[in-house]
Parts: sequence; structure tokens; C-alpha cells
Amino acid sequence: MLKTLEKIGRFLEDATLVVMLCVLIGLAATQIFLRNVMDTGFVWADELLRLLVLWLALMGAVAASRDDKHIRIDVLSRFLSRKWKLAATALLDLFTALICSVIAWHAAGFVMEAREYEDTLLGGLPAWPFQSILPIAFALIGYRYLIFFFRHIYAALTGVEQ
Amino acid sequence: MILVGGILLLLALLGAPLFVIIAASAMWGYYRNDVDLSALPIEVFGIAEMPVLLAIPLFTFAGYLLSESNAPKRLVRLTGALMGWVPGGLAIVCLAACAFFTAFTGASGVTIIALGALLYPALKQAGYPENFNLGLVTSSGSLGLLFAPSLPLILYGVVAAVPIDDLFIAGVLPGLLMLVMLAGWCLWTNRAIRTPIDQFSWSEVREAVWETKWEIPLPIVVLGGIYSGYFAVSEAAAATALYVLLIDVLVLREVAPSRLPHIMRDSMVLVGGIFIILGMSLASTNYMIDAEVPDKLFRFVGSYVSSQATFLFLLIVFLLILGAILDIFSALVLVVPLILPVAQGYDVNPVHLGIIFLAAMQMGYLTPPVGLNLFIASYRFDKSITQIYLSTLPFLLILLLSVFVITYWPALSLVMLDR
Repeated sequence: MLKTLEKIGRFLEDATLVVMLCVLIGLAATQIFLRNVMDTGFVWADELLRLLVLWLALMGAVAASRDDKHIRIDVLSRFLSRKWKLAATALLDLFTALICSVIAWHAAGFVMEAREYEDTLLGGLPAWPFQSILPIAFALIGYRYLIFFFRHIYAALTGVEQ
Repeated sequence: MILVGGILLLLALLGAPLFVIIAASAMWGYYRNDVDLSALPIEVFGIAEMPVLLAIPLFTFAGYLLSESNAPKRLVRLTGALMGWVPGGLAIVCLAACAFFTAFTGASGVTIIALGALLYPALKQAGYPENFNLGLVTSSGSLGLLFAPSLPLILYGVVAAVPIDDLFIAGVLPGLLMLVMLAGWCLWTNRAIRTPIDQFSWSEVREAVWETKWEIPLPIVVLGGIYSGYFAVSEAAAATALYVLLIDVLVLREVAPSRLPHIMRDSMVLVGGIFIILGMSLASTNYMIDAEVPDKLFRFVGSYVSSQATFLFLLIVFLLILGAILDIFSALVLVVPLILPVAQGYDVNPVHLGIIFLAAMQMGYLTPPVGLNLFIASYRFDKSITQIYLSTLPFLLILLLSVFVITYWPALSLVMLDR
């Protein structure tokens, strides 16, 4: 059950990234063509491009958490024994999950507020669906690290890595 | 306060994702100043308010795609045809090809993987000593950081609010200086094996140019477009991404369409990793500016350091230490907002500061404990990290010398800017 869910999640995540990047390239290129050749352009295109960059960035960050590929310093852990290293990693996982869920919570508040005040973007569209990537992305990252936490605790206790 | 800072530092050194550490410290700052924590996601949303950032995913994708095609092979052949006749030319071929490729692929470590694999065996075959080859290939992997359109240059422009075109112009001479100094050292240290790889032949040049016909327009259009002011940086990035996509997938068919989703995903993982740190540091910087941290920092430094020369010396030392523990992207977004006002207090031009910053941080790719290129090279060539480190040491010293020249000779960076 969890495995199928994860498979679907991975597919959706990859598909979103690919589709958004294609749209980004296509729209940016069209915009250049219109500006330089036809001397015109879509008024909304620049704003949409910037929103796409935000979405790509956050979805990319979610994808980075799938393989635990976030940028880190990591100088101490190589001096720890295997068991201590697993324990330290589990602690960091939990900390990451905690911080991400706090951000997701407040981001959700920010989105609800935007919805309540009927903030708009792109010349009249409601802003909140575009902003909703913030709570979604941080909730997903937090969820991933929570799973890592359980895995690492399990490995530290049993010595078996999944 | 000190306790929280200490705990966060410990967690960071243990290997917590950097964005989490920055987020936690920003939230702690907000909390202590009674600022609502929803200010943090609002700051992250600020990523959508910076038009220049558009260039970064586009250039990153184009760079990843280029390194998956046969473009690296053709680039090496072309540089070889043009410069292989120089005595000791192969080392220079290596430096030039790597610098060019790094500038175009945004200094994310792909140069070593894409070009190192071609150049390392070639150097060995030409009779260069093993440690020299390792050092050369490893340190070439971050050359070219100062040439347009490298990602760190763009990111510095975004963070410091300096025109990116100015940075692109300012980076040219310092970047060339690094290349020339390294090339000079390569020639001198290998004066015993001066055999050129090949005699110069017009027909080889012609063939190599013909083979590269699809890639040659790329630097001309991008660099020409940016330097002449015809293209904005993000337009050049969009044109590059689309062009590389069409050429490599449809015309040359070197990248199978089924590989594309992987390449897209991998490049966006890098972009996501950088941008999430950028978003968090937007929040923490804002808090620090509210708390007047740069002012306090300036007053503190000012009470010990009076001259610009001393300040610059301390700055280099600081950047070298920073480069050893932080990667260049995180260092840019975290530290530049703090040191820029201080540097301006000592009359350092912001454009010049950017060049100093990147030149010094470039060495960070080669310094333990987290020098990215050391690890990539150790992994790629299957050598111990200590051997890689020792072999890059002479190159590191030359780069250090060039950083001092770049720092104390501002005209080198600024002369072409008419100011």
C-alpha cells in the first residue's frame, strides 16, 4: 500500500517537474520571439514565468529530499561509528521534519489568509492556488524526512538497513 | 541565544540540510522579536519576485543536457586542433576546454565528469606524471567561474543587486589571468616533456570545426547577445536551453528522448537545492538587516581595521575558510548580504567584491573538508581523497596567488566598465 503510494508520488513528482520545465522553456522562448520579431508579447507571461520558477524550485527541493540530496556541510559525521552515525542521522531527520512542518503550517496560514482577502495575481486570478505550493512542498519534504527518521531508527536498533 | 546558536551549529556540522538550519535560525530570530512566523513563507514566496532567477533553471538544464551529449568530446577535439601544436599544449587544451565548459554549465561539478574522463587518459598517454594529471583535471573543473554565463556570477548579481551584465564584463580579465597563470605553471613544470600532441594542420582544424558546427553558434549568440546588450540574461538562457534541446535531441540525436525526463529531473534537483537555501536566506537576511547586523558588523570590524588593504586581506582569509566549509551557492546567498555593506564602508566596489568573492570561493572547490571537486575527482578516477588533495596543492597555490592579484588590482576587474 505505502509502496504503491510512493510509486505514484514519485511519478507525479517527476511528471510535474518535466511538464513545468517544458512549459518554462517554451513560454520563455515564445516571449523572446514575440518581443524581438513581432515587437509584442504577453503581458502575463513574465509574471507566470516567475511563478513557474518558484514552483520548479520547490518541486526540485521536494525531489532533492527523495534521495536526501540537500546541500549540507557534514564534517563531523565521518568521525562517528556506524551506530552513532545512524543515531545522529535519525536526530537530524526528526529535526528537519519538525522544522519543515512548522514552515508548512505557517505557509498554510499564509495561503488561507490570501484566500480570505481574495488576493489576486496575473491580472485577476486568485493568488492562493499559486501560493499553495509553499505548504504542499514543505509538508512533502517533512513527510519524507519523517520516513527517513523511522528507517534510520529501525536500522540503528536492528542493524538492518532497508 | 548562544545556546540555540551552538545547537544549530552542531546540527549543521553533523550534516543537517543547510536550508533547515537557516530556516530554524530565522524562525528563532522572528520568535524573539515577536514577528509572526508566517513572515518566513512570505519571504520564500519572494523567489517569484526576482525576474533574473529565471536564467538559473534554464542554464542548469542546458548544461546538464550538453554534458550528456558528445559536445565535450567535440570541444576537446576542437581545442586540440587549435592549440595542440604548442609545446605542452595538452595541459593548455585541458585548461581552456574546462574553463569554457564550466562557464556554460554553471560550475556544478559536471565538468570533471564530462571532460575529465576524456582528458585524464589523454594526459597519461602523452607522458604527463599521474599526480600532475589528477591535479590539473580536478582544479580545471572549477575554472571558468568568472566567465559569462556562469551561475554563481548570476546569483551574485541577484543577491547583491548589481547589474549582471557588469559582472559578466568584469569577470573576463581576472578569469583570463587565472588561466594564464595556471597555463604558465603547467608549461614550466613539464618543460621536460614538451612534445606537442600534434602538428598544426588546417585540415584537422577544418574537420573539427565542421564537426562542432552545431555548437559553435551557441557561444557566439549567447556571449555576443549578452555583451552587446541585445539579449537580457534570462533571454539568453531561454534561447540556450531551447537550442541545446533541439540540437541534441532532434538534429544530432545524441540524447535519447527517453533520457530527457531524467536529465530534467536531475538538473531541477540542483536548482531546488540552491533555491530553497536562497528562499530561507531571504528570510534570515531580512531579519538580520532589521536587527542591524551589517551595521554592527561594520562598526566591530571598523574598530580593529582601518585601511582598505587590511580589510581586503582579512576578507580573503575569511572567504578561504568559508569556501572550505560551504559550497559556493550557499555562501553567496548567506554571506554576501552581510559583507556587502561592510565592504562598501571600505570603498570596495560591489562589482569588484563579486569578482573577489567568486575567485576566492572557487578555491573552496579544492579545499578539504568539503571541496566538491575533490570528492567528484576521487570518485570518478577511483583515487584516495588524500592523493587528490596533494596533487591539487600546487594548483591551489597558484590560484591563491591569482586571488591576491585580483583583489589588490581592482582595475583588472573594473577597467572595461568605464568607471
